[in-house]
Amino acid sequence: MKKFWITLILVVVAIVVTIVAIPKKKVLYIYNWEEYIPQEVIDSFEEKYNCEVVYDSFASNEEMYAKIKAGGSGYDIVFPSGDHVSIMKKEEMLLKLDLSKIPNFKYLDQNVLSKTTYDPNHEYSVPYMLGSTGICVNKKYVKDYKHSWSIYEDEKLKGHMTLLDDMREVLGGALKYLGYSVNTTNPKEIEEAKELVLKWKENIVKFDASSYANGIVNGEYWVVHGYAEDIFQRVPEGEEDNYDFFIPEEGGTLWIDNMVILKDAKHVDLAYKFIDHILDPKNAAIIAEFLGLPSPNVEARKYITTEPIYTIEDLKNCEFIEDVGEYIDLYNKVWQEIIM
Amino acid sequence: MKYVSGYTLWLVIFFVIPLIIILSFSFLEKTPYGGVNFSFSLEGYKSLLTIGYLKVFWRTVWISIISTLITVLLALPAAYYIAKSKFKNLLLILVVIPFWTNSLIRIYAWIFVLGNNGIINQFLRFIGLIDSHIQFLYNPWAVILVLVYTYLPYAIIPLYASIERLDNSIFEAALDLGCSKRKAFFKVLIPNIKTGLITSIIFVLIPAMGSYAIPDLVGGVNSKMIGNEIARQLTTAKNWPAASAISSVLTLITLLGVILFVRNSKKEVLN
Repeated sequence: MKKFWITLILVVVAIVVTIVAIPKKKVLYIYNWEEYIPQEVIDSFEEKYNCEVVYDSFASNEEMYAKIKAGGSGYDIVFPSGDHVSIMKKEEMLLKLDLSKIPNFKYLDQNVLSKTTYDPNHEYSVPYMLGSTGICVNKKYVKDYKHSWSIYEDEKLKGHMTLLDDMREVLGGALKYLGYSVNTTNPKEIEEAKELVLKWKENIVKFDASSYANGIVNGEYWVVHGYAEDIFQRVPEGEEDNYDFFIPEEGGTLWIDNMVILKDAKHVDLAYKFIDHILDPKNAAIIAEFLGLPSPNVEARKYITTEPIYTIEDLKNCEFIEDVGEYIDLYNKVWQEIIM
Repeated sequence: MKYVSGYTLWLVIFFVIPLIIILSFSFLEKTPYGGVNFSFSLEGYKSLLTIGYLKVFWRTVWISIISTLITVLLALPAAYYIAKSKFKNLLLILVVIPFWTNSLIRIYAWIFVLGNNGIINQFLRFIGLIDSHIQFLYNPWAVILVLVYTYLPYAIIPLYASIERLDNSIFEAALDLGCSKRKAFFKVLIPNIKTGLITSIIFVLIPAMGSYAIPDLVGGVNSKMIGNEIARQLTTAKNWPAASAISSVLTLITLLGVILFVRNSKKEVLN
């Protein structure tokens, strides 16, 4: 028994010594959406600044927010969408940015910069990507359909469709279909949207935000509501034409994901350098091609050779999801009635 | 004594303190963007008084009870067979092997087997029995199936332990004294492995009541369980007191259930 203890202590000491003795590289902690930055962009950053990047991922803004709000997350850079930038700003979770430390900021599209109503002067956030949530159809199974939210009323597709498990996205779609704003605070309009979603619910398999992309690619689902970049990253090469991703003609929701530095970040300098690295036109081009999305970086567009899944012009009917403050309770209430 | 204090410390740090935090949060006032105001409020509990929550609580209870019953009924013969087998060590390892794989992967495996485009549907299509597919998943029964699958080892092991300890001669005595095999099963085996039975029921029922990933992945539009609701209140709805209130009620229900259950079975043993 004594031998055992001595061995154990020796092993522990050995581990501690190795950990302490290894010269420490600086580490940057990033909290971001899954598979949202191509590895080569991270690799080149690590090489350039001789540091290490730890990339943790979240599946929804809400999940990210709950973790940061609980405190002690230890992250430096986070990638929230617009509405959550405004919430995190109000809750004083963000560091006020010094744009002079991000020289590549000048390459961002003025058009995009003018849309950031959640942070009009870019004091806390830098846009990373923008796009719309849409509907994707697997044309192998579905031949006849309209580019409209009404696809969810088609009983022939019953049991083959999913909607996102996301309150604002789903209600936003319904509101758009009814011709209202996705940020409405009118209880009657929200109630109408609820009735519509309840009708859609009859035809869907489930509200799914985590496995819809795999689901449509392996034939489990035929019609899904979600993000284009999620789906097309999983489509096998050469089969892209089988999948039709569209933004419904009635319009949909728009999002801008942003880079922010947390107030309690420990590696602020490195975080600035990372944001600048992302905005470097060549890197921005790699990112846009990887995601298949239009780039908000004007200079980067020169380096992009592949067509994006949709262009910024396609987004004209779409509307940003904004933080609606206390009116969110109206949404919470009807969403609860829908899903329970 | 040393061990007792260590265990108590462990219990206090990882169980009692978190429980107190949850309980106190459930009586505080919510702030619009998550977090709490430190002033007393019953809003968290009031928000639970809706038909929706009643439905979800009820669904959680019946899904958990049915899965527990099925699990224990399957575990009993399995544990008996293992305990009496020549290869019990090998069989026990086989029972434990699934634990070596991440539980999420095992849940996804069920989607590949039973999914609309899964192995079984492809096979049925291949032999021409169906044209399109049978929807096995995305309903409460799929949730029960995967719960049973996931928690079966938890039920087998305590049952095995109590059956293994049993002296074979008590069965021989029962049979010699004119007891039928069936009677011997109910009058001799079951009372003698009561502790194992209770342990396995508790080991399955409690985690089943709190399941989150299983209803999320193989459940459909009408199989949300209370675990999913806790997560939703904490994240989307940003209502921490409500999330804490649901957790507290869930803990209370489970605790009451277990106490009642253990008490009753103790009484029966004494009688």
